[in-house]
Amino acid sequence: MGNKGWSVLFGVTMLACAIGFGISPLMGWWMPEGVSTHAGAVDGLFYLILVVTTIAFVITEVILVVFMWRYAETPDGKPPIAANAGFPSFLKPFERFLNDQHKVELAWTIVPSIVLVVIVFAQVNTWADIKYATRNRNDATAANKARSQVAVSARQFEWRMRYPSVSRFKGWMANPAATRKDFESFGKIPHFNDVHVVNELHIWKDHPVVVHLTTRDVIHSFNLPNFRVKQDALPGKMIPVWFTPTKVNCKWDESRQRYIDGYDPAGKKEKDKEYTWDIACAELCGWGHYRMIGRVFVHKDQAEFLDWLQKTEAEGTRRN
Amino acid sequence: MDSHAEHATDTHGHAHPELGFIRKYVFSEDHKIIGVQFLFTSIIFLGLGGILALLVRIQLAWPHAEIPLIHNYFADNGGRMSESFYNMCFTMHASVMIFFVIIPFLTGAFGNFTIPLMIGAGDMAFPKLNMMSYWILWPAFVLISFSFFVDGGAAASGWTAYPTISSVAMPAGQGLASPAAPGSGPGQVLWLLSLLCVGVSSMMGSVNYITTIINMRAPGMTLYRMPMTIWAMFITAILQAFALPVLTVALILQTLDKTIGTTFFLPDGLSFGNWSPEVGGGQPLLWQHLFWFYSHPAVYIMILPSMGMVSDILATFARRPLFGYRAMIYSIAGIAGLGFIVWGHHMFQSGMDPRLGTGFMVATIMIALPSAIKTFNWLGTIYRGNLQFTTPMLFALGFVSLFIIGGLSGIFMAATPVDIYIHDTYFIVAHIHYVLFASSLLGIFGGIYYWFPKMFGKMMNDNVGKAHFFLTFVLCNCTFFPMHMVGLAGLRRRIPDITAGALEAKLLPLNEFMSISALLLGLAQLIFVANFLWSIFFGAKASQNPWKSNTLEWTTGDPVPGHGNFDTVPIVHCGPYEYGEHGDKDNCPQTEKSTTPATH
Repeated sequence: MGNKGWSVLFGVTMLACAIGFGISPLMGWWMPEGVSTHAGAVDGLFYLILVVTTIAFVITEVILVVFMWRYAETPDGKPPIAANAGFPSFLKPFERFLNDQHKVELAWTIVPSIVLVVIVFAQVNTWADIKYATRNRNDATAANKARSQVAVSARQFEWRMRYPSVSRFKGWMANPAATRKDFESFGKIPHFNDVHVVNELHIWKDHPVVVHLTTRDVIHSFNLPNFRVKQDALPGKMIPVWFTPTKVNCKWDESRQRYIDGYDPAGKKEKDKEYTWDIACAELCGWGHYRMIGRVFVHKDQAEFLDWLQKTEAEGTRRN
Repeated sequence: MDSHAEHATDTHGHAHPELGFIRKYVFSEDHKIIGVQFLFTSIIFLGLGGILALLVRIQLAWPHAEIPLIHNYFADNGGRMSESFYNMCFTMHASVMIFFVIIPFLTGAFGNFTIPLMIGAGDMAFPKLNMMSYWILWPAFVLISFSFFVDGGAAASGWTAYPTISSVAMPAGQGLASPAAPGSGPGQVLWLLSLLCVGVSSMMGSVNYITTIINMRAPGMTLYRMPMTIWAMFITAILQAFALPVLTVALILQTLDKTIGTTFFLPDGLSFGNWSPEVGGGQPLLWQHLFWFYSHPAVYIMILPSMGMVSDILATFARRPLFGYRAMIYSIAGIAGLGFIVWGHHMFQSGMDPRLGTGFMVATIMIALPSAIKTFNWLGTIYRGNLQFTTPMLFALGFVSLFIIGGLSGIFMAATPVDIYIHDTYFIVAHIHYVLFASSLLGIFGGIYYWFPKMFGKMMNDNVGKAHFFLTFVLCNCTFFPMHMVGLAGLRRRIPDITAGALEAKLLPLNEFMSISALLLGLAQLIFVANFLWSIFFGAKASQNPWKSNTLEWTTGDPVPGHGNFDTVPIVHCGPYEYGEHGDKDNCPQTEKSTTPATH
């Protein structure tokens, strides 16, 4: 390969990477649609960083490839340009600046640091909104503002969900002030008639939820990619996870006598992959880690959720 | 300083009697032989780590197929790889590559080989300690290799070995078997002990490097005349000296948890099936803090020496002074300094207080700044150069090109909200491989091609080297770049069967592409091995200074100097990067008086 050929190799390879990345949204190799209230903010920050890094990538790789082309040693081993050659004409106006190493050094220190500081400060609020307890306080005294609660206990290799019984739930609704203590201790204190379900997280649209996350054996990670939610479950600790779903994906199926997910309410499609929302464990937890997958069911409103809760509770009672 | 250097040369200079084969090549105190010993063992473990990586890739692309060659081993699983075996493969791939390949390559092989030669010393400050730092690795080699054959197989809880899956133990008297995972039994104990030995080895090395660089520089070799390789080794050694004790402590604590029933990392109330440990009170998060307090600086231990070597190689073959020499030093120091306060960015989703995450994010994103400065300076170095595309130069340029990708992709993970989505997906796998394979390992290859003449007195074949570079550069992008995309699409790391999840199954074709590229990439490394071995015996004889380089190692009398390195103490008159501006001669070795006004 000739001396200039190497710059072509670098250029083509980097261009191929850029094109591959560029077409991946069209190929479906991209983030799924966000279905929680904070997903838009997270994706926005992703795109902010993507824009900044793309600009940096293009500038640096182009300069590298151009320099490799321009300053390649000639085939007879001579320097490509004279040691005292001046700058190309379009850089002439900046000649004095470019000849001062300190100024150049200062410029490419200050400009990136400003960009990086902007990136940092753009993140802080969104992170706080998603994860800080102070920003996710629960108003237990007003039923319409109270978060729906689920206690999730992870174990090798499944998610065990605990919901309040219908009567406990209705008690909170009817008299939030009087039941406040019970409401707030739901995560820590199970009742004998709470409703237990494996691998199914049932919530309803546009209503905030808090998941009280625990594990009884090893570290798992409560990962809801479609909701931009991820939180490790840590042995010995209960960790709250807050989010609010914005889309419906389930309906009552008369023939099967149960609620099914993977349902697109707009297109009326069933078993739609885009409406199948996994709870896919994201922290290595043993041989079955890959298939430790639960599902999220987002009901259209509280009434439908209560209907599901009632049916599930009745089923459990029947079995007992 | 000067008197130290002279004293050192007196001690190690001329007065050696002829040594027998064992003392000369096996239990050698000569830093060059020790460096080559590290080099050979690292190359062997690179092969092992590579085979493990290919097993992982085969399983990812063809999850339901019989595994080739070793299918008889999985007869009761239909010839397919078992999930636990897969977990073992990626765990041991990472452990081997990090602790037995990259770190020994960089600090062991290159640190040992280059430091005394490039600062003009006869040997290391403590030659016997240096010998021990290599031989203490052998218990580690034996333990880690043996661990594949113990009951339950080798460690399989990830190279991070997070408790409780790694460390929970059965009640006393029931052996070392683990209730959490088969690989967390005796395999995990051997893993812990083996890493302890590696840590001790690195510790001995780092003490030696720091002392040697501070005390044994040749007359005139001021700190600001040291080549970037030495600056990088120096700062890396300081990182190791301060961070390693923490890992050592963590490893000992986990070993005690596993063996004698302590519960440093095991909390109350655990239960596995029908069995619950009776005591608890520990903290699984404590391990993560201790582990990452070492392992994040370790990430810089695994890249800074490569950066130093690349800086030297670029300047040599661009025939230009290194742009911004001092800025390069300060940015390495900046990366190392910040490197100590960013470990929490591995733990944003771990259950650590999220407010702490904000602080770690600020420090982490600011690390992009010194990295950017270094990249700009490398580009400034080749500007208006006379680029000679030798094999080491190509690897150095490849390093710059791919480090840009690896550096930029890190910003995504550093941003806490974005990390919520991409944490533990293939996006992070892409990032670490761009930094560790496409950057560190490319720098290592560059260093091997560059210093091979000094190590063995022969030249490696340049055309074969270029073929190796061409294939490695193209194929490593084919292997690792699509990982960004599948990661964004939600593919989790560390799963043996990607058809299980709703988001993941459709990514199978891209996985096949990556795996085929990886297999070819693995094969391409055989070209390197062949070139390396062939050149040692049959390579063209090297001249004293084949690259017309300035640094001191190329001024020794013979191409391969004997123990003691220099016949007379070299006296340094100028910095290492005076290329291109000396009339008819385009370099100025550090031992000659500079004809240009000093730039630094």
